[in-house]
Amino acid sequence: MIRRTIPEWLFWLLAIGGIIALLVSYEMVSLAQTRTNELQTTIPSFGKLFEGLKQIFRAQGLPENPKPAMFWVDIRATMWRLGLGMTIGVFFSVLVGVLMGAYRWIEAPLGPVVMFLSKVPPTAMMPIYFALAGTDQSMFASMVALGIFFSMTQSIYQAVCQDVTDEAINKAYTLGASEFEIIYEVIWKQILPKIIDNIRLQIGPAMVFLLAAEMVVGGAGLGYQIRMQSRVLNMSVVYVYLAILALIGLAAEWGLATLRRKLCPWYVD
Amino acid sequence: MSQYALEVKSLSHSFGNYRVLDNIQLQVYPGQIVAVVGPSGCGKSTLLKAILGTNPPTSGEILTDGIPVRSPNRNVGIVYQNYSLYDFLNAEQNVSFGLKLDETSFLMRLFAIRKYLSLRKSHLSKSRDFLKQVGLESACGKYPHEMSGGMKQRVAVAQAFIMRPKIVLLDEPFGALDEAMREDLQLMLLRFYQENLLAKQEGRRPEYTILMVTHELNEAIYVADRVIGLSRFHTQGDQGAAIVYDKPCPIFSPEDPRDFSKFSEQRDELRKAVFDEEYIKDRNKYVTFWSELSELANRVAEPR
Repeated sequence: MIRRTIPEWLFWLLAIGGIIALLVSYEMVSLAQTRTNELQTTIPSFGKLFEGLKQIFRAQGLPENPKPAMFWVDIRATMWRLGLGMTIGVFFSVLVGVLMGAYRWIEAPLGPVVMFLSKVPPTAMMPIYFALAGTDQSMFASMVALGIFFSMTQSIYQAVCQDVTDEAINKAYTLGASEFEIIYEVIWKQILPKIIDNIRLQIGPAMVFLLAAEMVVGGAGLGYQIRMQSRVLNMSVVYVYLAILALIGLAAEWGLATLRRKLCPWYVD
Repeated sequence: MSQYALEVKSLSHSFGNYRVLDNIQLQVYPGQIVAVVGPSGCGKSTLLKAILGTNPPTSGEILTDGIPVRSPNRNVGIVYQNYSLYDFLNAEQNVSFGLKLDETSFLMRLFAIRKYLSLRKSHLSKSRDFLKQVGLESACGKYPHEMSGGMKQRVAVAQAFIMRPKIVLLDEPFGALDEAMREDLQLMLLRFYQENLLAKQEGRRPEYTILMVTHELNEAIYVADRVIGLSRFHTQGDQGAAIVYDKPCPIFSPEDPRDFSKFSEQRDELRKAVFDEEYIKDRNKYVTFWSELSELANRVAEPR
């Protein structure tokens, strides 16, 4: 029967079984590939993956002048670009989304523009960013910021329209609120959980734009490294980077969900 | 200070060419509980929105305590049928929200934290006292999603009245509640009316002035001390709905038995005057001119 419940122990057993099945089948495919070609690096065994893990944390260069490990250089570059881009993008999309939901004279001119531009895939706009912002840090940050700006503005605007009723606003006026207080004390507080959820949802697409751009023009960064290592078929590093990306995604998801629970204990999904 | 808590002068309202309300004249005295009844679509909500200030009338003027209403402001409180509490505030924060908005500013909250915190303490304590008064002392820390409909509506009532507005508008306030909850809330309004009587006796201005829209005729007569009927079924009905019924009604105290048969005659009269499509009459046939009847206008001064 659809949606019939199963015992909890069985659920967890199947969940762990799924992960074990993935790991075992990966190792089997890797072994089969190694039997065909002993020097293969396309599907490295777990031993090789461990080597890759050690490699990315190994300091580069000579012992008397060690450069930071590859991983730290890449993660710092990527996280800096992502952090800066997300901060700018989230700030302006919340500002514009809230104002569009609050004032018809802002909604009227910006609504159609935001809706149109939110439909253009940000990766397709990459050449425009390269042309306008060059290929330095500001290009990556502006790309992430603009990449999330239009769709997030649209979501925030819709959250204001749906979650903040006219009654709530009129009542706030009757309780002596000024316009600024309505925006800060009513609209902002009502949609805060939606803002946090939107940030959580936008991290994925932002990473897609950023990694794609890094693969094309980066000099450092996770995307740049994945591309460079895959060109020389050093897949043990590539897979480790992919696993780290998944862990970063999970950590961000967990962190933002926790933040939402702490800041908005009243919010029920 | 005006003698009227609310004064509506020659109010008319049209949507395009369709005239909804025609020449509404209404004076509400401090301490009155006025129920507004009428067929659906007769303009009750339009009148309420005009008094609230969200939809200004096409012509005419509305004054609360002598001050013209141009937009929603703290002189007019509102309680909606769907509660409209702020989800992100618990019961006591919801009730004290108006005090916070009214008595502190954003800059004070940011730069004069000590002063703000001491005010906040007194606001929350006032809010708890008010919640106690409406029987909700145990629910102070609950968020709206943790409360029943009846509890939410009590919080909404407390939220409006704690501001001591000149008048509070109740828009079908108990429409979404079950019968038991409805009764509880009706008794709460009767207790407010008793406090008005006491205030008048002691020479104070009564605090609870209410204009309540309801579709329940028994509720209207039982809770209010004056019932108004809005309807198009009068000789100039093509001009829009007008007040076709305006009469005092019996006063109950919370301890009295809930006996609706006591006012069955008035209920039938009200139904005929306001809801009977066939009965077209002069719009003033069932209207008491309150300004000419000072003893009735001051009725709230007479304890039972």
